[in-house]
Amino acid sequence: MNAAAFVEQAAQALTAGIMVGCVYGLLCVGLAFIFGIMRVINFAQGDFMMVGMYLAFYLATHVLGTTLLGDATPFVAAALTVPVLFIVGGGLHRLLIARTTGLRGVGLSAEGHQAQLILTLGIALVLQNGALILLGTSPHTVLTTLSSSAWELPLLYDDFSAVFINQARAIAAVLSVGVAFGLFLLVARTRLGKSLRAAADNPEAATYMGIDVDRAHRIAFAIGTAVAGLAGGIIVAYYPVQPFVGVDFIIIMYAGVVLGGMGSISGAFWGGMVIGLVQQLSTLVMPLQLQNAAIFAAFVLILLFRPQGLFGRNVERA
Amino acid sequence: MLEVENLSVAYGGLAALREVSLAVRQGEFIAVVGPNGAGKTTLFKAISGTVPVRGGRILFEGQDLLTRPAANRAHLGIAHVPEGRRVFASLSVLENLEMGAWPEAGRKVFAETLDRIYALFPILSERRAQFAGTLSGGQQQMLAIGRALASRPRLLMLDEPSMGLSPVMADTIFDAIRELHHADGLTILLVEQRVAEALDACSRGYVLETGRIVLDGPVSELSTDRLRQAYLGM
Repeated sequence: MNAAAFVEQAAQALTAGIMVGCVYGLLCVGLAFIFGIMRVINFAQGDFMMVGMYLAFYLATHVLGTTLLGDATPFVAAALTVPVLFIVGGGLHRLLIARTTGLRGVGLSAEGHQAQLILTLGIALVLQNGALILLGTSPHTVLTTLSSSAWELPLLYDDFSAVFINQARAIAAVLSVGVAFGLFLLVARTRLGKSLRAAADNPEAATYMGIDVDRAHRIAFAIGTAVAGLAGGIIVAYYPVQPFVGVDFIIIMYAGVVLGGMGSISGAFWGGMVIGLVQQLSTLVMPLQLQNAAIFAAFVLILLFRPQGLFGRNVERA
Repeated sequence: MLEVENLSVAYGGLAALREVSLAVRQGEFIAVVGPNGAGKTTLFKAISGTVPVRGGRILFEGQDLLTRPAANRAHLGIAHVPEGRRVFASLSVLENLEMGAWPEAGRKVFAETLDRIYALFPILSERRAQFAGTLSGGQQQMLAIGRALASRPRLLMLDEPSMGLSPVMADTIFDAIRELHHADGLTILLVEQRVAEALDACSRGYVLETGRIVLDGPVSELSTDRLRQAYLGM
């Protein structure tokens, strides 16, 4: 392989990595609300994404149809999953999760983490197998002209090398960045966002401020669920959905949130980005099957040198 | 303003408070003193709703607090500065104060209250952008008090504000509390282990011992002899 061809491949992998990384970033931001900020272990996050993928798929193919909205169909369908998943997440929290979080979690062993783990693992199994029974095993994806068209970006050093940018993936990446940035502002700047952080930081003191800690947890959980659904809806425009697709992504989400630093929304996004880049760039030097191994090698290395994560901050007095 | 009637609280089978009654009237500065484990913090938590109450009543301005969820009580005008300060470590100093202003009453006049808080504790103004967790113990106590003031409370409850502080810092905190009572006319309920300082500052006191009120009255009547007898059993 000559140098020019390698540069072309590297540029292609880098572009793919950035685009995949943006979507992983959004997925990680969703989990950051639940795990990073509220410190609730949620094993079902990947399956919320799966639900969002199926929902967007059926909305796009059976309800909306492609005639009226054209290429925008999958993204409109993805947006429509947000209110649905928000309500699902809020409802699940009220009925089940709330028994293990907030002030009630304080009284449980390991602050409720063990109970959360088992509970959300149960929800994950119900969602996975429910989808299997109701929807079957065959994978689906929303195919539009965008999924199969690409922009060609010529590389300037010769006349024939170029980087191809898949349009569906590019739009997915841009949408992901936009939503992630909006959520970052929500947490960093708004009263609601600050109250979520306060409720997670010290539920007892938050109660003394008059903050309804249960409600704060419910909102964070609902936002996290809705973001997983939205990301799923965006992804299904180029990645096929099947009942166990969440398993492929849940590990990436946790790795991204921990990598970025617990509690940081921007950190979670960049954690997802790093994973996307490592995954795609590793294909240059390693067989494709080892890309997940590469992710964990990078994960271990980064945590070895920065245990608090890339963006983790030490907020306690030394 | 605040009436606690025959309040009983138990953890498991263990009684923490037995039929405790006390009253705080508008504009008063009341101290509850007593040794470790007497139930002082439990009393505050019962008023704020973070421990389950077994029996009795708590009335705040005529309203039955026990029918109100815990998160609702700050909105009624009760501010609780908890034992151990409990600032939001991962939030900035200013964000902590903003969270204190969560109730409607504090939200509307936050800018004005902020000036008052910064005047009382200038260091908080200097450190406004810093994470609260990185403050010293004394500064965290100032922040915890400032955060409570931000809600524009009608009743300020302070749980061991001098705990773990140097004598000089404890004096600074006590001076600030006294000023809040005298200059701002705030009604204050204070729980303290430092009996002398607490009784020196307040108008009336209660002595709590193993979950019971064993002595109460104006400071002049809580003479040191009687107090020493009740407090140390001598």
